[in-house]
Amino acid sequence: MSAVAHPIVDHNVPAGEPPHIHHMDTVTAYGAAKLGMWLFLATEILLFAVMFCSFAIMRYYHLAEFHDASKHLNIWAGGFNTIVLLISSFTAAVAVTKAQKGDNAGVVKNFGISLVCGLIFLAVKGYEYSEKAHHGMFPFVWNSDFYHYKNFLGLYFCMSGLHALHVIIGMAILYWYGIRPAMRSRFSGKYYTPVELGALYWHLVDLIWIYLFPLLYLVG
Amino acid sequence: MAAHASAAVNEELNYLNWQKGIWSWLTSTDHKRICFLYLFAILFFFLAGGVAALMVRTELAFAGPQIITDPHTYNVLFTMHGVFMIFLFVVPGIPATLGNFLIPLMIGAKDVAFPRLNLFSWYVYMVGAAIGAVAMFNPVDTGWTFYAPYSTTTGTSVSLMVFAAFVLGFSSILTGLNFIVTIHQLRAPGMTWMRLPVFVWASYATAVIQTVATPVVGMTLLLIIAERWFGAGIFDPSKGGDPVLMEHLFWFYSHPVVYIMVLPAFGVVGEIIPVFSRKPLFGYKMVVISSMAIAAVGFIVWAHHMFVAGISDFSAKFFSIVTFLVAIPTAIKVFNWVSTMYKGSISFKTPMLYAMAFVFLFMVAGTTGIYLAMLGVDVYYHDTYFVVAHFHYTIQGGAVIGLIAALHFWFPKMTGKMYNETVSKFAFAALFIGFNLTFIPQFMLGMDGMPRRYYDYPAQYQTLHTISTIGAYLNGFGYTFALANLLWTALFGKVKAPRNPYNSHSLEWQTQSPPIHENFAEIPVVTEEPYSYGTPTGRGH
Amino acid sequence: MLGLLGQQGSDFAHKVDYAHDVVTILSVICTVAIVGVMLYFAVIYRQRDGKDHETPRIEGNNTLEVIWTVFPTLVCIWVAWLGYDSFVALRTPPANAMEINVTGRKWAWDFTYKNGKKTTGELVVPVDEPVKLVMTAKDVLHSFFVPVMRTKADVIPGRYTYEWFRPIQTGDFQVFCTEYCGNEHSKMLARLKVLPKAEFERWLADDSEARKLASLKPSDRGKELYVSKQCVTCHSLDGSPRVGPSWLKLFGKEGKLADGSSYKVDENYIRQSILQPQAKVVQGYPAMGMPSYQGQLSDDDITGIIEFIKTVDGTQKVEVAPALPKKSAASRAGTTPAERGKALVNDSGNLCATCHSIDGSPMVGPSFKGLYGRKEKLADGTEVTVDDAYIKESIYKPAAKIVQGYGPVMPAMYEGKLSDQDVADIIEYIKTLK
Repeated sequence: MSAVAHPIVDHNVPAGEPPHIHHMDTVTAYGAAKLGMWLFLATEILLFAVMFCSFAIMRYYHLAEFHDASKHLNIWAGGFNTIVLLISSFTAAVAVTKAQKGDNAGVVKNFGISLVCGLIFLAVKGYEYSEKAHHGMFPFVWNSDFYHYKNFLGLYFCMSGLHALHVIIGMAILYWYGIRPAMRSRFSGKYYTPVELGALYWHLVDLIWIYLFPLLYLVG
Repeated sequence: MAAHASAAVNEELNYLNWQKGIWSWLTSTDHKRICFLYLFAILFFFLAGGVAALMVRTELAFAGPQIITDPHTYNVLFTMHGVFMIFLFVVPGIPATLGNFLIPLMIGAKDVAFPRLNLFSWYVYMVGAAIGAVAMFNPVDTGWTFYAPYSTTTGTSVSLMVFAAFVLGFSSILTGLNFIVTIHQLRAPGMTWMRLPVFVWASYATAVIQTVATPVVGMTLLLIIAERWFGAGIFDPSKGGDPVLMEHLFWFYSHPVVYIMVLPAFGVVGEIIPVFSRKPLFGYKMVVISSMAIAAVGFIVWAHHMFVAGISDFSAKFFSIVTFLVAIPTAIKVFNWVSTMYKGSISFKTPMLYAMAFVFLFMVAGTTGIYLAMLGVDVYYHDTYFVVAHFHYTIQGGAVIGLIAALHFWFPKMTGKMYNETVSKFAFAALFIGFNLTFIPQFMLGMDGMPRRYYDYPAQYQTLHTISTIGAYLNGFGYTFALANLLWTALFGKVKAPRNPYNSHSLEWQTQSPPIHENFAEIPVVTEEPYSYGTPTGRGH
Repeated sequence: MLGLLGQQGSDFAHKVDYAHDVVTILSVICTVAIVGVMLYFAVIYRQRDGKDHETPRIEGNNTLEVIWTVFPTLVCIWVAWLGYDSFVALRTPPANAMEINVTGRKWAWDFTYKNGKKTTGELVVPVDEPVKLVMTAKDVLHSFFVPVMRTKADVIPGRYTYEWFRPIQTGDFQVFCTEYCGNEHSKMLARLKVLPKAEFERWLADDSEARKLASLKPSDRGKELYVSKQCVTCHSLDGSPRVGPSWLKLFGKEGKLADGSSYKVDENYIRQSILQPQAKVVQGYPAMGMPSYQGQLSDDDITGIIEFIKTVDGTQKVEVAPALPKKSAASRAGTTPAERGKALVNDSGNLCATCHSIDGSPMVGPSFKGLYGRKEKLADGTEVTVDDAYIKESIYKPAAKIVQGYGPVMPAMYEGKLSDQDVADIIEYIKTLK
């Protein structure tokens, strides 16, 4: 044992080779990373579960308000966003296949599309929010005409806001762990863990929206 | 457990001294060093929470105002006590310190699965603690439970404090996730699931709860902030919200969190008793199964905190019955620990004294828990001093005694030094007597109907309160003495600890004391069960 | 059996106590047995002379595991049943139970009887009759706990919860708030007074104020309320200045509010001022001077007051000492003088609490907290120590010595209403508020 610390994850390996991890072998590292990500996704779902649960109970108490308030949401914007996210999820899945084949350019391209879709999603969401704010259906600028929708709108902003935050985090992950290393031809059939995990996270972001959209926009 | 660790390592170089300077500690990803980072942080908050507790007890020593002149300050102090002890001390308590130190050593790994994430968790914890410290400028007066609508309407800095708790929860999640992956992926060759020491099993069960339950309370706390900032109308009834929903979500975490606190302590006792009895842990499989059963059942009993909170009678009945299910695996554990001592060769080193004290304290905690699971009786006891005494027996008598026991037990491994047995036994006696003196009167106060969180009380309760306060001081003295003894030994102690002072069979004792940076010079191969003490032909006394 | 929970006040208390005693006996047996066995093992299997001896490798015993899984399970089922059984009794009020509405607020309990009678801080019930409390809260969570009745339920804003009991003996019993509710949580107490049935009926009928009011024409009803709800304390009928505006020719008056906007006294303005006094405060009057009467006055009451205000033209005279019982029930309750004094201060007939806080916060009059023994400067510049004599004088002759910064607004209505003993009790109470 020397008194010099070696890095835990050493990326100074030939392109396409998995990084050297000082305390476990490559196969173990892949399994560990994947299990870790799945567990993390489970915690994310539980995070949202609280709001789904609150939504169910608040809807039970304020059925009429929820029914009326949901009509004020822009169903076309929401639907459009759903399609955008589905496309982004598809390209994210394609990127994983590309990475497994060592097609780094393919990873950049497909994750790039997912990233752009994420931006479109956020833009549309921003448009929806500004529209709500304009009509005084926004928490800080309540118009008294809409104040009785506060239970629905409060949850709407909490849920969609937290989801939007996850979109932003997901985009950062796609860029930092997918696109950036792929531009340096980092991935190959031997090493594509970050692409796979990034795509997993992005699927979660998509999946949550798949539940949010009907709940907020359609069920009412 | 036979481990083929090579002895050909430089015994002088170990994880403590191979790198020097404060910076090498703050940037270390070594799970053993991170253990110490956590240890100093949590003991600091143990001290702070303890001071708050003693101030509360001093105030309550006699009827009428004593040292605290207004109820608000009193409310702040008991809130501080609860928040510090729960979120900053006991929840990270054993898992983040000894769990960190021991899990890789016990399973024969060089480190946890994600060492950088492990260090990151500590920083997240420190950020959470810092936010909590900022909240102290306008300290919270809600109690650690943050019940709405009090928490959504009071003028104190609840938003900051619950955000601190949210951040601390994040740290807890990351630690739990790391441990699960470590135990799944990094076991040494031959270390099958049924050869894992029970401490590892207990930590595994704990980690599952940390990962699954914590996000729920995290989101709940964020919703309290949403309620306070823009009146989201989820918990505040004046805005159409439901305060009982908040209680449900809160206890969905905060009941399992009790098992986060106490399961690792079960694991500690399960390690100590076999070693000092020279016997295999009786019914190893049942002990393992009961840990997992407690973790599982722990998720469906939360509403027993709410029998009088306005839930339906049907729910109350359901949650009462499932609560009794927890009693059974807990009882199994106690029976197995005691049976382990049968025909043993028992030596009474300090850790063993703590372990035996634990069995007694936990019997009290468990049996008084039965009262609170019984519907009709809980209606009487809910929110009285009986509950206060019960959970202090569980959390202090269980989790904290477990932590202190573990610190004594693994101290030679962690520091390479031996503490003074006489001093540590004296400290043990002080804190054991002090603890019981504090909380037995509180059971009696509960029987007399004394409600909790009272700044002042009718004079009829005074005698018991006075005794309790005296006990609290003795208890505090005991803890201070025990920890000071360890700290002094760690810094200035001269007695070197051998590699395996207790002749234990588990892996962590097979490497040098203190271990080298990556634990084992060579990854060990495991060929035996974890507690292969005694001989097949041995007859005992 | 063991009597650990003290006096039994309700007919189901013995069920709770039985369950409690059974589990106590079981717990003690189990704890003593297990700890006893542990200590026994510790003694007989201890290492002799610090030397390890050979031990058998016993890894477990399936029969034992089954026994100590099944046995606790059976015990748990029994004990769970006992708890369940007592709970069913606690939660099943008889159909003929007398209902009383309970409102928890920071930091007092209000009780409303079916005949409209209201009390604060004192729940009076008949012995041997089932009583069902229908409870809600105004602000935050509270919990209504009557130890002697073995019953408790949280009191929640925005919904109703209930509890019931059938008292089996007369007497005064303690009520606690057991859900943390803020600063004065530990002072949110009430007294449960169980009376013999006939006495209770008399008590209930004694103050038939509500029924009397209902039979009056609106303006007379308003006049009655003007006295009984202590409007008289702050609002004169002859134009003389008090804490609040005089009601003389008030209706239709216009002027400026504290924020500069203008107002006109109409029905809605009066209603809002009664229910939300802080909403529109007239210039020159204290912002926090008036407590809200939300929940204390019905719509008919408010209409009555509005009608009365319309009639005030300077000819009305009211008897200032109200027609309340000279000695309210509260004044006899309690065991110590200070407790009796507290009851008097909180008594709705005296309404000291309208103008004097007990937590130091400034209201119309000086707070009672820390009052006793303090040196105060009077309006005429002289100094006075707040002692027994001063407080007594201030109660009987409020205008005699007024502390600087306060107005001559306290009504001289307590002489004859409060006995010397009452005043002494109140002084004792004030002494405790340090």
